[in-house]
Amino acid sequence: MLLALTAIVTITPFAAMVLVAFAPPSGRTFPDAFIPSNVTWENFQNVLSGSDIGRWTLNSLVYSLSSVVLILLFASMAGYAFAKKRFPGREMMFWAFLATLMVPFQATLIPTYILVSKLGWVDGYWGLVVPTLANSQAVFLMRQFISQLPDELFEAAEMDGASEWRIYTTIVLPLVRPALATLGVFVFLWHWNDFLWPLVVGQSGEMQTLTVGLATLQAENVPINQIMAGATITVLPSLLVFGLLQRYLTDSIATTGIKG
Amino acid sequence: MTLSTQERRDGTRRPWSRIAPVSGRRFRQARVGLLFVAPMLLLFIVFRFVPTAGAFLLSLTDYSLSGEWSFIGVDNYTRLAGDDLFREALIVTLTYVVVFVPLTVLLSLGTALLLHQVVWGRGFFRGVFFLPYVTSIVLAAVIWKWIYDAEDGLLNGLLGLVSAGPVDFLGRAGAVLPSIAVTSAWKGFGYSMLILLAGLQSIPRSFTEAAMIDGAGAWQRFRHITLPLLRPVLFFVLVIETIQAFQVFDAMYVMTGGGPVRASYSLVYLLYDSGFKFFDFGYASAIGLMLFAVVLVVSLVQRRFVGRED
Repeated sequence: MLLALTAIVTITPFAAMVLVAFAPPSGRTFPDAFIPSNVTWENFQNVLSGSDIGRWTLNSLVYSLSSVVLILLFASMAGYAFAKKRFPGREMMFWAFLATLMVPFQATLIPTYILVSKLGWVDGYWGLVVPTLANSQAVFLMRQFISQLPDELFEAAEMDGASEWRIYTTIVLPLVRPALATLGVFVFLWHWNDFLWPLVVGQSGEMQTLTVGLATLQAENVPINQIMAGATITVLPSLLVFGLLQRYLTDSIATTGIKG
Repeated sequence: MTLSTQERRDGTRRPWSRIAPVSGRRFRQARVGLLFVAPMLLLFIVFRFVPTAGAFLLSLTDYSLSGEWSFIGVDNYTRLAGDDLFREALIVTLTYVVVFVPLTVLLSLGTALLLHQVVWGRGFFRGVFFLPYVTSIVLAAVIWKWIYDAEDGLLNGLLGLVSAGPVDFLGRAGAVLPSIAVTSAWKGFGYSMLILLAGLQSIPRSFTEAAMIDGAGAWQRFRHITLPLLRPVLFFVLVIETIQAFQVFDAMYVMTGGGPVRASYSLVYLLYDSGFKFFDFGYASAIGLMLFAVVLVVSLVQRRFVGRED
């Protein structure tokens, strides 16, 4: 009983969002918006034509997907080196990477912004994507997973004369595919939902992401029905990922403690 | 020292030429290792280590938008000490932490305990509770701003049905922080719930069964078995949520703009405004470092406090 009640309360805000998004523009108050007889697409059409939401979606996709690809690549390479190779400074580097988890991103927001602006990257994709690629959690996870692979595998491949890049692409990557998939989903969600960095670095309307755009709409006295339509569009990819990978996501949090 | 570099671990000294095959493989390993770490290392140096060091240095300067700067020592910090805005933002942030952390930990613990007991539909309910976690705090803020709306909002609509209200949840100084805390807790409790649920499931069933045979009631079992065994997990959740709470910004930016009259103006909000509204980069960096220090101190204190209890 209590459980069902909690579940209903949890789901209600989403239901309210969808109902208001489909309600006619006149029905903005609580009881009116909940009469399902007059469902309309009008709000979606208005928000799509009246704002840069298409461009924001593109920006969010570029930001999320390029981060997924690059973080998976660089983190698995680094993870492989940390797990299976001996080189000077290995321990120190690894702990230095992990130590950055202790520094809140906000504490380095200003210097990172100054750096990016000196590089001429403000208001562009480079500035949006590159600074967020240094992800300690990704490196840590990849090292954990790769160190579980048996050493004999690599020794045998080495004896057969396989190059290191070949070992990495044909042995390491296929074997850690489940870990890559999990990490990929989380990186996607982190970047899709990210707010502060896109807000700071994408100043023009052209370079805003969906989350920043949604906040802008909210601040601009756009009718609530249109905002909710925009919110519904924003949440769709997350819901899709969630719907497809729910069990996967929840299990991996329970076992690895990945935190956004 | 020069001699020892030529010594092998087992103490035998060999000319370099004779250990060449071994060091050759080692050299190859080291080179490959460094090459594979290189992209990440470069990213970390440029976008993590340099900005962290930069934050320290910047906080000791007066840095203007044009890029001109002058070294002013600890002036930014003495300015912080006398700044009412900073003091208010600190109080707002601490109040928020005090409201948000117990709320979200109790909510996660409660739902985890409920879920742990049910057999049927656990996966379904787990999914429902986890759903808000995959969305953004901005989305949560947008939806909940409407829910809280004084005129058209869902909550006041419901209150109106029982002829109560309306309550201006976001427009009253006393109500605004709890209202925002509820929104953040709704968005994020699914994560802590999963961690706690995993913790609960790792407690052997035989423990509680034995206690039941000894006649322990539900509360006694919870108090003397579940809670002590769950402590490390609970501690982890507590630290994570507290650190998160100190960084609160997104929800306030979207829902209230810091208002009413700075009643929801947090430290990060002040940092953001100092940097990107007043372009006072040195001062903003000093605020960032204070945040860093506070987060560090809190997690150390928490560790001591929770670690000692047993």
